[in-house]
Parts: sequence; C-alpha cells; structure tokens
Amino acid sequence: MNNSAEKKLALTHLWVAFGAFGLAAVMGLYQVIERSGFFGFLESRAVYYASVSTHGVLMGFVLTTFFIMGFGYYTATSSLKMPVWNLSFAWVGFGVSLSGVVMAALPLLGGAASVLFTFYPPMQAHPLFYIGATLLVVGSWFWCVSMIVMYTQWKNANPGIAVPLAMFATTANAILWLWTSVGVAVEVLFQLIPWSLGWIDSIDPGLARTLFAWTLHPIVYFWLIPTYTAFYCLVPKQAGGFLFSDEMARAAFILLVVFSLPIGFHHLYMDPEQGHGWKILHAVGTFVVTLPTFITGFTVIASLEIAGRLNGGKGLFGWIAALPWTNPMVLAIILGLLMLIFGGFGGLVNASYAMNAMVHNTAWVSGHFHLIFGGTTVIMYFGVAYYLWPILSGKPLFCKAMAVKQLWTWFIGMIIMTTPWHILGLLGQPRRIDSVNYNNLLTLSWEPYEVTMMFGGAILLYSSALLLINLYKTQMGTEAYQGEIEYAEPIHAPDDLPEYLNSFKLWNIVIAVFMLIAFGYPILQFFLMETFGSGRWGV
Amino acid sequence: MNNISEEERKKILESSPVGTWALMLIVGGGMVIAWLMMYYGVFLPRGHIG
Repeated sequence: MNNSAEKKLALTHLWVAFGAFGLAAVMGLYQVIERSGFFGFLESRAVYYASVSTHGVLMGFVLTTFFIMGFGYYTATSSLKMPVWNLSFAWVGFGVSLSGVVMAALPLLGGAASVLFTFYPPMQAHPLFYIGATLLVVGSWFWCVSMIVMYTQWKNANPGIAVPLAMFATTANAILWLWTSVGVAVEVLFQLIPWSLGWIDSIDPGLARTLFAWTLHPIVYFWLIPTYTAFYCLVPKQAGGFLFSDEMARAAFILLVVFSLPIGFHHLYMDPEQGHGWKILHAVGTFVVTLPTFITGFTVIASLEIAGRLNGGKGLFGWIAALPWTNPMVLAIILGLLMLIFGGFGGLVNASYAMNAMVHNTAWVSGHFHLIFGGTTVIMYFGVAYYLWPILSGKPLFCKAMAVKQLWTWFIGMIIMTTPWHILGLLGQPRRIDSVNYNNLLTLSWEPYEVTMMFGGAILLYSSALLLINLYKTQMGTEAYQGEIEYAEPIHAPDDLPEYLNSFKLWNIVIAVFMLIAFGYPILQFFLMETFGSGRWGV
Repeated sequence: MNNISEEERKKILESSPVGTWALMLIVGGGMVIAWLMMYYGVFLPRGHIG
C-alpha cells in the first residue's frame, strides 16, 4: 500500500511535537538555574513565570498532543492497512491545533499568560491563551474522530475478527481523550474565556478546579497510552521476541481508560470545595488504576524475558543481559521502566490520603511529575521517534550510537534532576516558586540539592540537543531507506476474543456511570450551595 | 534466536516467565517496604501539623 501521504502527515505532526520539545528543554535549564538563586543577574520573576508556563504548555500539551496524533495516524494506517480516513479532514485538524498553539504562544511568550500549564483561576491569562488552548484541543478532536471512524470501518469490514492491538490501543486513547477533555473544555468555554474577555466579573475557582480535576488525571494516561502502545506492539519485536499476551494488553488498556477518569480529586486533597468522602472515593480509584500499570509491567517484562531467552539468555535473570541493549527502542523501555518504578513509588505517596499532606504542593510533586512524564512517557517517545523517523522520512537513522547515548544521558540527567527535587519537597520547599527572599537554616539546606538539579538540567538539555540533531540529520540524509513498521506478534493469536475485549460500547456506558457517580454531585453542589459572591459560571 | 533448536524455542514460548514473576515480586515488595518506611520513618515522626 502506498501510504506516503500518511507518512507525510505523521512526520509533520512529529516535527511540531519535537520542535516544541526542543524549545521547552532550553527553558527548563533556564528555570532550574534561575530558581537556584545562585545567578542574581538571571533573576526575574516575570521571565521565570512566563518561561515555566510556556515550558509546561509546550511539554504537556504540544509535544504530547502532536506526538499522539502523528503516531496515531501512522499506527492506524499501518496496522489496519488502509488509508487515513479523509486526509483533508486530518490536515484541517492539524491546522486548527497548530493555529491554537501559535495563538497561545503570543501571550505566553509576552508574559501575558503566566498562569502555568494548569491555568487555575484566580490567576488570569490573556483571552488569546485560552482561545488558543481550546483550538489545540478542538484540533485533536479531529484526530479522535479519524481514529474512531477508521476503527469502526475496519471492524465493520472484518466482523468477528480482533482489531489489531495497536489500533485498539489508539482508539482507546481517542475515546479516553474525548472523555478527558470535556472537563477542561467546559471550564474554558463557560468560565475562563468569558471571564478573561470581561463578559463576567467573577467565577467560582472551586468549580474551575473541580472541572480541571476531571481532566488532570486522565490526561496523564492520554500521554502515556502511546508509550504503552509501543511497549506492547513494537518493543517485543525489536527485542527479538513475541508479545506475551494480547488479551492482557487489551484488558490493561480498557482498565486504563475506565479507571483513569473518575479519580481526579487526588489533585484536590487539600482543597476545601470538595468533601472528604468524595476525596476518599477518588483515592480508592487512584489505587485501582495501579492495576493496569502492574498488568503492563508484567506483560511487557514477560515479553522481554521471552525475547532474552530466545536470544540465548539463561537463568532467572540472565535474559536481561541477552536483550539487545543497543537497540534504541529496547533501551528506551528498560530505562523507562526503571524510572516508572521510582516514579510509581512517588505516585503511591501522592495518592495516599494522609501522606499527601506531607508532600502536597511541595517540590516533591514537580519531581514526581518530571520522573513519570519526562522519564517514562517521553523517553519512549524518543524510542518511537528513532524507530519511525527512517520509516517516515525514507532515510536511515543518522547515528544509532548517538541515539543510545542520548537515551542514557536522558536517563542519567532525569535521575540527577528529580532525586534532589523529591528531597527538596520533603525538606519543605514549595513548588512553583521562583525564589525565596529569606535565608535561614531551612532554605540554606536546600542549596546542595539546587546545585545538583542544575547539573541534571544541563545533562537533559545536552540530551535534547542530541535527539534533535539526530532527527534533523536523518531527515537531511542522502541515502534511501525502505522499511515499514513491524508489529509484535502475540504468542497466541487472539482468535476467540470476547466482544468486550474488542469493543468499547460496554466500557463507554461503564465510564458514563462512573463519571456520574464521581463528578455528578461534586459539580452539582456548586449550583446548590451559597457561594458568597462567586457566581458558578460567573453570572 | 538463531542458535536455539525448535524444541528449545517451543519450550521458551510455553514456559512461565519465572524471571518476570521474580522481578515483579522484588519490585512490588520493594514498593511496599519503601511505602512503609516513608509512612513510619518520615511521615509519622513529623507529628501533628502546627
């Protein structure tokens, strides 16, 4: 099948993603240096918050959304062996998202949207920021529609046959994103945009935070599912083996979609607008969502074990050494899983209702987030990029050794940066501050960790440069490369798959019920209780 | 992959991933121990707020 148009579509999305990543990486190093307080001439609160807001938006929304869309389009066309449905529609979605990014970038870079990537009110940004962010999301809905249409078309043309796992996972992510983005869309459309335009005088921050909590946790899984898709569908083949279980992979994706949605209140444990009972309900759900993570850990490690043993590895752990550590995709998953272990532990502390009070709004949270997102999720984006770039560009990878070096430096830099970040949180350093204007024994005790973090940040920027140079040189190469994506085969083909592992109809109903239980009254209460001045929607 | 016999290959594909079970037990156990250390060693000794 000639899918050069789809390759161009995917590669364009991926270039936007990694372009945003490169810019954000430079800002990251500036921020870690600025907030250390060691370089007085760099200190500027206005620049710091403009930078940290832009860094968060670029990494959290632009890198991820464009990567997910680009990877998704190519996964859809290559796994289903059919062209992308309505290519023009896909390009329109790309244009809408990109125009949103440009629109949001103007106030961000000008310091008129220094509201961090969570844009919690009462901090207010320029209307262009909210409108731009909305367009980014609306553009991504085009992608969701494309994925669901292609999934449905294939399923109708192949009744009773299991949808290829990679497409099942991609469709799961599209459905997850549609559910996920409802919360923030309602917040932005009915609260933030009218408020920032001056149409209304006030809004209820409690309602805004509740709606954002709807989005804030599942968005992490929206970012993570492409990583898991690569874990299940690409890595086993690259490692020289097979997928341990197709069914367990599907179960994990379904559990991720269902249970990542009704649990967002663990971000609001310290907030007054929601009662303890609702928070505990969400806390229980937060621990449930560790189940698909453990299923994924088991299934992908078992797949790696099979590959290692097929490669000649012996003994209980001898297969680990027999894995192809110089394959970027395999190295990325090994390092990603290591960071997932440390980051996962941090997440358990965050999710623990009592212990959360110890780390809430401290530097620990930023450290955890960077380790999980910048570590596990993004390192696999790199692994996928190294694998896909030659396929999409038709040029061989410029330098495999550079890719391996980049992955190692990313891992080392991330560990060096996030370990002291966690410790700083335990030492009481608040997150989201640019500096402290006082000196005492407590703040002095932070200094060695601040210095260490700067080294970590510098290594990460170096690693980012290696990635971008490698991708650029690959694109500019003169040699030709002909290859197509190779999906991992499961040990046992999913021939007799029950419909609930091949369809999302049942799960959408389950999600609707869960969301009604988890968010129904917590949102409704804002329209029932006296709020002393703050209008619900601001009217 | 090339140096093993078909019989060995079949055995590998059909056998239980014991190394994975061992790793999961180590990681899972380690997380439980680390959580308990954090709870009893760091969180509780801080006492009440204020």
